[in-house]
Amino acid sequence: MKKKRIIISLAAALLTTAILAGCGRAASTNTSEGENKKEQVVNVYSERNYDTDKQLFANFTKKTGIKVNVFEGTADELLERLTREGKDTEADMFVTADVGRLHRAKEQGLLQSSLSDTISKNVPENLRDKDGQWIGLTVRARVIVYDKERVKPEQLSTYEDLTSPKWKGKVVVRSSSSVYNQSLLASFIAINGEEKATEWAKGIVANLAREPKGNDRDQAKAIVSGVGDVAIMNTYYIGKMINSSDAEEVNAAKKVGVFFPNQVTNGTHINVSGTGITKSSKNKENAVKLIEFLSGAEAQKSFAEANFEYPVNKAVQPSELLRSWGEFKTQDINLTKLGEYNKKAVEIMNVVGWK
Amino acid sequence: MKKFKFMKYKPSSWGFLSFISVLLVILPCMYILFHIFDKPNGNWYHIKAFLLKDYIINTIKIVIATGFFTMIIGTTLAWLIAAYDFPCKRIFKWALILPLTIPTYIAAYTYNGIFNYTGVVQIFLRNVMKMNLDPKYFDIMSIKGVVFIFTIFLFPYVYMITRSFLEKQSAALIENARLLERGGSDIFIHVILPISRGAIVGGTSLVLLEALNDFGVVSYFGVQTFSTAIFKTWFSLGDTSTAVKLASMLMVTVFIVLITEKWLRGRKKYSYTTAKVREIVPVKLKGVKAVGALLYCFSILSMGFIIPLLQLSHWSILTYKKILNFKFVGFMFNSIWLSIIVAVLIIVMSVVIANFCRINSHWISKVFSKISIMGYSIPGAVIAIGVILLMVSVDRKMVGIYKAIDSSSKTLVLSTSVFMLVFAYTIRFLAIGYQAIESGFDKIGMKFSEASRTLGYGVTKTFFKVDLPMMKPALISGFALVFVEIVKELPLTLILRPFNFNTLATKTYEYANDEMIHEASIPSLIIILVSIASIYLLYRIENKERR
Repeated sequence: MKKKRIIISLAAALLTTAILAGCGRAASTNTSEGENKKEQVVNVYSERNYDTDKQLFANFTKKTGIKVNVFEGTADELLERLTREGKDTEADMFVTADVGRLHRAKEQGLLQSSLSDTISKNVPENLRDKDGQWIGLTVRARVIVYDKERVKPEQLSTYEDLTSPKWKGKVVVRSSSSVYNQSLLASFIAINGEEKATEWAKGIVANLAREPKGNDRDQAKAIVSGVGDVAIMNTYYIGKMINSSDAEEVNAAKKVGVFFPNQVTNGTHINVSGTGITKSSKNKENAVKLIEFLSGAEAQKSFAEANFEYPVNKAVQPSELLRSWGEFKTQDINLTKLGEYNKKAVEIMNVVGWK
Repeated sequence: MKKFKFMKYKPSSWGFLSFISVLLVILPCMYILFHIFDKPNGNWYHIKAFLLKDYIINTIKIVIATGFFTMIIGTTLAWLIAAYDFPCKRIFKWALILPLTIPTYIAAYTYNGIFNYTGVVQIFLRNVMKMNLDPKYFDIMSIKGVVFIFTIFLFPYVYMITRSFLEKQSAALIENARLLERGGSDIFIHVILPISRGAIVGGTSLVLLEALNDFGVVSYFGVQTFSTAIFKTWFSLGDTSTAVKLASMLMVTVFIVLITEKWLRGRKKYSYTTAKVREIVPVKLKGVKAVGALLYCFSILSMGFIIPLLQLSHWSILTYKKILNFKFVGFMFNSIWLSIIVAVLIIVMSVVIANFCRINSHWISKVFSKISIMGYSIPGAVIAIGVILLMVSVDRKMVGIYKAIDSSSKTLVLSTSVFMLVFAYTIRFLAIGYQAIESGFDKIGMKFSEASRTLGYGVTKTFFKVDLPMMKPALISGFALVFVEIVKELPLTLILRPFNFNTLATKTYEYANDEMIHEASIPSLIIILVSIASIYLLYRIENKERR
């Protein structure tokens, strides 16, 4: 029996230490690093879970010896974490696929300026925050994708045209919870005013071929399989589908065309995927180095070639596929507006019944 | 040894420990209820005006349809297996539990992968059969799809409970009915359904609690329910108070389910007073009937286990080279040690509370017992938000203590650590451990411990020397049940995990959500294998006990 007691108390002790160790784990990483400078790190909260990004982080570590820890989640989830954790956050950088969330982080006082000479040189002024609190890393255009058999590009003109009766029951788009759609509508609020933007959202809902569902790739597949004729999509998905390991996806992508709307009016909607350094960052220098690296030629080239996004760095060319679609005119608004009008956009979509 | 003597003179230490445990469980829920009466803000009015109707309608549709279909499938299967003999019945008897080993979120993305445009079904029809069917027939990302997934993967709850009831309780009634030359369907409707009402309703309410708790399936399929609404308001709008309001509404729904269960079960209990219960003698089915029974069982098992498992295995062959690396071992290790720690913690707490409750017949022990099993009915979304709010405020109050220990300490010590996750798991899964332990105590009864105490041992000494050795099977089953649930758990893990902490479940969800369905197959398969191993262990223990 004595033995049993020893075993039980040992087990209890083990359990408590394990729990305490678990609790202390997060706390200790900071302090120990500060004291003996064992390992240089930069902690990233990222919404971008692309293989390209992982490869780039690995290259960065190889180059600088700075380890990159990535914690993935949706931008909203990560933003809630940043808010909750406040000063105690482990995160040094916040990476999103949309500028609206970066703006919200800035408004909540979660970011600080990350501008350095290199970064200012790499990223043009219109693609970064005026206070340097967020930096665009790639540009994506939200365009109209159409079925090459049933639709002639001449029939397409503007986003607004998609609400006209000729597209009734032919439009597919993903749900209003997609931040890409939120930012698209926010840009219309900024350019045309709330009333016109509401009209547009209403018109899209009236012309939908099916209830909004799935992700961007699913919209292209829906067109190919005949659910609808036109879809609103981000450009890089077409590039990724064409280079997919799945033969069916490649087939589907080949059957659709890309159209840049509003070329004679106010330009195609663009959004940036970008990053900012957290206010309470404990490794700011490393974070700045990482942003310099990501906006530099090498990383920009791989964003362009492997992920089919438009590079922000003017020294780097878009991929061949993207160049084959030609140059296009972009919306001429301050990207901050996308963040400012985000809430309004979400409300409008709820009101008009954009699921 | 001194410690144990000390406890002998103060038997209320069991009560004290129980009180602490129960308090921990109930605190976050209290925190939610405390905030119900916060003044509603603009977001709340907006949601109420434009979205709330959808949330309510979708949630009700899912609950009613899932309840209906699981009831039908679970009960008919239980009846077939308990009352008849047909080829492969012995295999089906345990195999029909297997769908439970596949977490619903994994089932959801697997089935979507099978049926979507690039899935095997449509490719076959399009490229081999040259058929161009309207894709809407294959669209499972809808409420119907959600109901399908819940029904096919959760029906075993109804099946297991109803079957074991029928096997043990219904022999005399069924045989009398057979003697009176009633046909199979007649017996089913007039005898089986009425007497097993309690078991069927009990199983179905478990299914519905799972359905209300779900976040993975509905968010992947893009169906708006209360669970997704809570997370959406909380994260996208950054509005905790409205999220808490929605959470409290969800809790009310759960209470409605539980009250309906009580009411539907009624007061009637069809159980024998003798301990000697005869097992039902199955009737042998022949010809078409036997084939029909076989096909029915096989098609359900295929949908609920074989097909998804084959698809996952195929995907894992495509991707294992890319996925299986050193990091992946880390995720596995995280899943396992976390599950072990929490399972041990829960079993210890369960034993303390259950022992306290069986020794004291005071009303408070009934309350403790009720609270311990309450956590399981509270959806993950509600627990997550309650735990976060509570822990952050606890941390803010404890800053003084943290600083005294370590002057450079940060404010949020508990709420940025894995402690938060352990805490939330404990609340949610205490019920499972507790029920296993309680039934273990019921089986050994009070005789031995009473004898031991008359002979001079205290409560604690009796517990360690007399009760505990006899409780071994119950401890192991409780541990295994809790362990599996935690390995599978998704929403709490996703929200509450600390920085840089991934488990198999979170990785699966991340891959699936990043449109990397094939890559998600390996962590999924491991989760399923762990579940199967645990269920096998339970099966062995059960068989051993019977002998």
